[in-house]
Amino acid sequence: MSDKVYNLAQLEEQGGGDAEFVSMMVDTFLEHTPGQLEEMKSAHSSGDSATLGAIAHKIKPNVDMFGIDAITQDIRDLEQMGKNGIINAETQEKMQKVEAELTIAFEQLKQH
Amino acid sequence: MSLMKIFVVEDSIPYAKVLLHHLRLNPDNEVEHFSDAKSFLNQIHQIPDCVLLDYSLPDLSGIEVLKRIRAQAPDLPVLIVSGQEDVGTAVNLLKEGAYDYIVKDVNAKERIWNALNNIRENARLRKEIDVLREEVNQKYDFSNIIGSSEGIKKVYKYIEKATRTNITVSIYGETGTGKELVAKAIHYNSKYRNKPLVSINIAAIPTELLESELFGHEKGAFTGAVSRRVGKFEEAQGGTLFLDEIGEMDLNLQAKLLRVIQEKELNRLGSNKSIKVNARILVATNRDLKEEVRLGNFREDLYYRLLGLPIHLPPLRERGGDIMLLAKHFLQDFIKENGFPDMKISPEAQQRMLSYPWPGNVRELKAIVELAAVLSDDGIIEEKDLNFNTVTDEMDTLVSEGLSLKEYNRRLIQYYLRRNNNNVVEVAKRLDIGKSTLYRMIKNDEINLN
Repeated sequence: MSDKVYNLAQLEEQGGGDAEFVSMMVDTFLEHTPGQLEEMKSAHSSGDSATLGAIAHKIKPNVDMFGIDAITQDIRDLEQMGKNGIINAETQEKMQKVEAELTIAFEQLKQH
Repeated sequence: MSLMKIFVVEDSIPYAKVLLHHLRLNPDNEVEHFSDAKSFLNQIHQIPDCVLLDYSLPDLSGIEVLKRIRAQAPDLPVLIVSGQEDVGTAVNLLKEGAYDYIVKDVNAKERIWNALNNIRENARLRKEIDVLREEVNQKYDFSNIIGSSEGIKKVYKYIEKATRTNITVSIYGETGTGKELVAKAIHYNSKYRNKPLVSINIAAIPTELLESELFGHEKGAFTGAVSRRVGKFEEAQGGTLFLDEIGEMDLNLQAKLLRVIQEKELNRLGSNKSIKVNARILVATNRDLKEEVRLGNFREDLYYRLLGLPIHLPPLRERGGDIMLLAKHFLQDFIKENGFPDMKISPEAQQRMLSYPWPGNVRELKAIVELAAVLSDDGIIEEKDLNFNTVTDEMDTLVSEGLSLKEYNRRLIQYYLRRNNNNVVEVAKRLDIGKSTLYRMIKNDEINLN
């Protein structure tokens, strides 16, 4: 499937060809990241920039690890803007983009 | 280190799983995971071998966790693993004692792996040093100084006193009586035992080089000073400095030594900067320093400064039964080292040994016993196996070889150097030649100080 929003190459490299490891990591990602996404959305809507930045910081290495390239910069921007106390139209736009990409990634990874 | 216990403190479960997966690839790693600082700090008393600490934990900042680790386990290596590359934070953490700062990027795995290998290697080396240090301590336990004569019992008593304080100790004794062994016994049984013992034989170093050897020099301080060099005083910082053959020191240098000992600070040659020194001083000599003071060869003020606790090592000829105790000890050591069958010393050989004056003292006894063990044919050392006349024999050999006068002189000087423990000053006096002649011959490789 060429329309995948994720890329497991880095994870597979880290796993050294261990399919079980990759599968375990996918399960872990699907178990934890949706909840983090919800927390991030809630922090954004309630204007809690510090929590927004902190959760973006936590999601960031997972976005990198799963090769969700379309939002690697957006998640970093959200982390930085959150730390700087900024919540505005731009963060709203980035949040929506991150949510959309991650939601697709969750669905696609469930089929993995 | 065989097993390495690693604590991973990481609240991102996916990232923690990646770390745990990698770390457990090495079966020698015993890995435990904590997802917050509090649960980790509750278990810190287990003292792992290393901690991988996420900088952004939900309950405490990385720097705070690091400080708490340092309070409980100051030497525990902590690798900070952070989601962001922030040089300022990294510098602060390293200043607080973090072992390394690793960013969660594609290179993290390799950097963590390398850091753990380094930690493992350092731990192995530390353990090896501890074992060696313990071995050295045992080797120089002063109960290993053999003998039961009154003279040596007094030496034991004084060594014990010397180990309890930092008093300067002056060790007197003829050549071969074991002055260096006593210095080692004092150091390795004193509170300085885990710091260096630095020895320097004053007689073996040309006067013009001695000052730099003792006090060090800066680059360019004199011709040939191509780089900065730390002197023996600084090398011995916090430990013991053993100045052997102190009686051979030049009067000018004696004044400089006195100043350093009095003021507890020195200037490297070519530098105006004062450096504090705090080594414990032990000195040894085969001369009567008091007599040297009277003759004007040794400064009186330095003599009193160095006198401290004087320990007089009796010559072997005055140690009676110790001769046979030592002979049997050296024989057993030699047999063990060379895999020889058990050997005995015949009553006649023992009688001969007891009546011999032993001018070379314990060193000579050891050499003669070892040679006798080699020469013996039947596992019993007989009188004929004791080769006391090494001096005469060697001289006879020299004469019979029909050497040139120059070669004869060279061999003669080499012989006396060996016999006098490379004491250039002593040999120069004994053979009535200039020290500079000897130094020149050493420099030209005509003779050597092996």
